[in-house]
Amino acid sequence: MAMAAALRREGKRLAPLISSQQPINTTLRSSLISPEQSSIGGARSISTQIVRNRMKSVKNIQKITKAMKMVAASKLRAVQTRAENSRGLWQPFTALLGDAISIDVKKNVVITVSSDKGLCGGINSTSVKISRALSRLNSGPEKETKYVILGEKAKAQLIRDSKNDIALSLTELQKNPLNYTQISVLADDILKNVEYDALRIVFNKFHSVVQFIPTVSTVLSPEVVEREAETGGRLGELDAYEIEGGETKSEILQNLSEFQFSCVMFNAVLENACSEQGARMSAMDSSSRNAGDMLDRLTLTYNRTRQASITTELIEIISGASALTG
Amino acid sequence: MASTGAVPFWRAAGMTYITYSNICANLVRNCLKEPHKTEVLSREKVHFSLSKWVDGKAQKPTLRSDDH
Repeated sequence: MAMAAALRREGKRLAPLISSQQPINTTLRSSLISPEQSSIGGARSISTQIVRNRMKSVKNIQKITKAMKMVAASKLRAVQTRAENSRGLWQPFTALLGDAISIDVKKNVVITVSSDKGLCGGINSTSVKISRALSRLNSGPEKETKYVILGEKAKAQLIRDSKNDIALSLTELQKNPLNYTQISVLADDILKNVEYDALRIVFNKFHSVVQFIPTVSTVLSPEVVEREAETGGRLGELDAYEIEGGETKSEILQNLSEFQFSCVMFNAVLENACSEQGARMSAMDSSSRNAGDMLDRLTLTYNRTRQASITTELIEIISGASALTG
Repeated sequence: MASTGAVPFWRAAGMTYITYSNICANLVRNCLKEPHKTEVLSREKVHFSLSKWVDGKAQKPTLRSDDH
């Protein structure tokens, strides 16, 4: 965390330098071609101070990004097995209740899962994009779509254009390692605070360290499940199951859909955390590489400048000496 | 699934199945022997902050946390 803050500070300090990289290089190059221009004030050699300072800061940034990559890699390993194990939780539900993404209902709630911290590539923008598309897809007369947002990053993006549709926002999920109790309390809070016919959970499913598939899981309200099952819609097969015990079907369905929601949420949050670490790892890898490239370029410029000033001095000495003897 | 007799009661108390199953799970966890008990109980920590939104503005966030 401290590292990210330090990086941000460094970045802010360096942003003008990096963005104005081209002008600096051209001034350096032009001073190489005509060194007499810069020696107006009596200074003979060209100052290499700026280049040296930039080299130092680029090297520091590289160190930080490398360290962040290591941290992300170790965090990824911890969360990856848990995410893969948690897939077994939602699979039976999908087998029983299906994943009716195209279902057409009045009250839609889009749950966008994102991260609290940045520097992890485009995974947060992807979930936001998919959420926006889902809400547009499900918009219409007498229909309403609300957002429930997990994580700071999606909140910052959705606040810009659809702040009136946000119903809830939840942050600081990852202070402790993610666990089922936490997510179920969270799911409970969401259920108590929104009215829904269908909950659509948007998250990045972890596929490999460099591949994250934006995914939508749909959880229907018990009433919709019952309606669909009775009218023989998408869930027609549900009626083939027999219900044991003295409970009515609606009671069972209510319990089931609540439990399904918390299980799907658990998996979604874990998958997204896993994708976040993977994305951060590859982002930090490429930024370390970029810093290395930049450092190479700067070293080249620095050496050239130094060589040029040495050559100039030699020429001056030799021509001075030959003027005396001649 | 929940035992048949209890369902109406916890529903009437305003609980969802999630809360009910959490309470049950916690009971089971408390039945474990040491050292597994402390390990399991320390793993299941709740911490997040929730804010409701009214008319495009976030209300004051409420913190749900076990560790104070």
